[in-house]
Amino acid sequence: MVKLVTDSASDIPAKVAKELGITIVPLYVRFGSEVYRVRVELSTEEFYRKLTTSRTFPTTASPGPGEFAEVYDKLAEETEEILSIHVSSKLTVVYETALRGKEQMKRKCRVEVIDSLSGVMGLGLIVIAAAEEAQKGANLNQVADMVREAIPKAHVYMCFDTLEYLRRGGRIGRGQALLGSALRINPILDIKDGEAHPVGRPRGRAKAIERLYGLARSFTNIRDLAIEHATTPDEAEALAQRLDPIFPRERIYISTVDPVVGAHVGPHVIGVALLEG
Amino acid sequence: METRERVGRTAPWSGQELRGMFTTATSWLEKSAPDIDTLNVFPVPDGDCGTNMLLTMRSTMEEAYRASDRNASAVAQAMARGALMGARGNSGVILSQIFRGLARGLEGRKSFSGNDFATALAEGAILAYKALTRPVEGTILTVAREASFAAQSACAQSDDLLSIMEATVKAARDSVANTPALLPVLRQAGVVDAGGQGLYVVLEGVLQYLKGEVGEMQYRRPQVVPSSMPLVSKLPQLAAEREEPYGYCTEFVLEGRKRLNPDRIRKRLDNKGQCLIVVGDESLVHIHIHTFDPGKIIQYATSLGTVHQTKVQNMDDQHKDYIEMIKAQVPVADIATVAVVSGEGLTQVFRSLGVTAIVPGGQTMNPSTRELLQAVESVPQDKVIILPNNKNIILTARQAPRLASKKVKVVPTETIPQGVTALLSFNYDADLEANASLMGEASLAVKTVEVTRAVRSTKIGDLKIKRKQAIGFIDGELTSVGDSPEEVLWEVLLSLDMEGSEVITIYYGKNTRRSRAEEIVDRVRQQYPHLEVELICGGQPHYHYIASVE
Repeated sequence: MVKLVTDSASDIPAKVAKELGITIVPLYVRFGSEVYRVRVELSTEEFYRKLTTSRTFPTTASPGPGEFAEVYDKLAEETEEILSIHVSSKLTVVYETALRGKEQMKRKCRVEVIDSLSGVMGLGLIVIAAAEEAQKGANLNQVADMVREAIPKAHVYMCFDTLEYLRRGGRIGRGQALLGSALRINPILDIKDGEAHPVGRPRGRAKAIERLYGLARSFTNIRDLAIEHATTPDEAEALAQRLDPIFPRERIYISTVDPVVGAHVGPHVIGVALLEG
Repeated sequence: METRERVGRTAPWSGQELRGMFTTATSWLEKSAPDIDTLNVFPVPDGDCGTNMLLTMRSTMEEAYRASDRNASAVAQAMARGALMGARGNSGVILSQIFRGLARGLEGRKSFSGNDFATALAEGAILAYKALTRPVEGTILTVAREASFAAQSACAQSDDLLSIMEATVKAARDSVANTPALLPVLRQAGVVDAGGQGLYVVLEGVLQYLKGEVGEMQYRRPQVVPSSMPLVSKLPQLAAEREEPYGYCTEFVLEGRKRLNPDRIRKRLDNKGQCLIVVGDESLVHIHIHTFDPGKIIQYATSLGTVHQTKVQNMDDQHKDYIEMIKAQVPVADIATVAVVSGEGLTQVFRSLGVTAIVPGGQTMNPSTRELLQAVESVPQDKVIILPNNKNIILTARQAPRLASKKVKVVPTETIPQGVTALLSFNYDADLEANASLMGEASLAVKTVEVTRAVRSTKIGDLKIKRKQAIGFIDGELTSVGDSPEEVLWEVLLSLDMEGSEVITIYYGKNTRRSRAEEIVDRVRQQYPHLEVELICGGQPHYHYIASVE
């Protein structure tokens, strides 16, 4: 059976990953001289607590090619086909590193590495769909084709309440247009063609969440849907309840935004990711 | 990089610390160099001012680390030499003079105090002026002078270098903001002076070192100082082809066979080109000139000594590259927005939200159709949305679509808050029609409160108004009258239904004290704890307060 690999920026809940046999390679986050493998050595709760209390601002890093090679070699013991799908190459170097990891493998096994041009649960939903396909018995070519078709159908909208983290952090492409606002705004970004892109800048959190709701509602053919948050599970749940009429609540994934992304968007991010059918 | 954790320590400062200060300043400048490049319009819009200043700083610091001794004097001498040898461009050469002044001021000192540093800065500013035959105000020269003046005034109160530099950096910032007021070409281009901005960033870098914030710097970026006056548009005329050629930017270091006389060299070259700068001493002189005949300049120089670090660049090529750079940067969207706004703070708000051009005006100062058309025609985009932001300007604005050579839509915003809300809902992906209707719709969702004083006594409905009394409006309708603007603002806010509202933004006017506005903010927060209240210095004339409720 095709084995799925992704990175922790996919935000796939641990339970879901376990059920579907998805291997998640953790990315790194660093506060000064302390380095953590996210979700392994540092829980998301601890991360966001540190993010708001620590004086040093975290930086993020990709695992090395050797770590990918190790993961692939280990999986190669039980499978002959691996599909490794990663966060947009325009946002991080994870994809390139995974490619190099593939070259450094010791065992022989077919590995295909795909750039999702997405991130967080946009990537997560693609990987979940791929794993489901693999469980149905599809081979590597079939799953890879399915993934390539799914990529343009994955949408991610994230809203946050301060630009401070983006300002310090970084690579947001056209999201730059939102920086420097003299008024407090609750910017909404999406990931389009692998890059962050401004969608809107409502004022006030309720209005921003209303906007997220409206964006999700504008899709008619939803295959999968996820709500993401960092430190506000109640808000995420409320949004999921509201979306129930358009997509059944019990099928909505709720997950937490990975620290690697959270470092750039701050502790109050809330988002919707969906995959069109 | 040398880091200092101690904050607020006093003299003496060592040569090593002097090096640390400017090493930090160089890395700070490095982050800002591309931004500074895009500001570069004077004397030639060639887009390399930031890069030139950075290269000058690098050469300065390379020498600093080669200094024979670590005492302050030796390090400063080495830096001055490095700056002179490596200076590039107008601003780079002028910057090198600051280091020369520093070297003079610190000569013979093992270590230095805040006072010494301030005196040395002043020396540098004087030398900078001397380097030019015709100094122009509104440039790095002005910033150097005003900053060093502030440094000296601060000395009178304390010898603490940190507090002196705080005053210096603040003055540099104010000075940069004021450059468009002094130099028309900046005003037309809608930018502050690039060299001045560069010097400000360098001084700010020094300050960060003194504050012990070297570690935090990596997560920040120097900000371009906003202009202190409204700017009509951003760099539109640069896209236009220039007919007159610029010639060659010629720069080199001359090492004299015999004693050199910089003053005589300056006089001799004065009519040979533009932007002449001659700096240096008896043994080494740095020459910078824009000329059509670089050969002649170098020929003259070789008659006096040997020529080093020669750099000759065709400025017309540079200008072309610069235009490409600006074109690639400026229009984020292919639809421009033109807004009518007055007040420094409000202008800043609109700029920060991405407005393309601002036409100064508003209540009692309605711009003409011609002024609006000029703005419409000056932006690089061929689709334009106008936000009149005043009831009395809508009609004028409506003339524009008919008269302009571009596709123009008017979103009839009647107030500043409506304009802000409209601008915030601008959609980068939508077309002109869709944006106009989107913005129009959004603008209606905000409630506007305005407070001003009555110009004459009158009676409106049940309200009796005496001249000079404060009056309050909700969406243009007079609803309250009282003696103080604060009292009226409070009354109006209380009368609004705040259920379902989330954000109140209060812009206080030019003649309103911030402390009074803050009192109102506190009261609003107490009365409506669920609301987000934001207070902004709008600096608008006429209205003591403009508030938006959304």
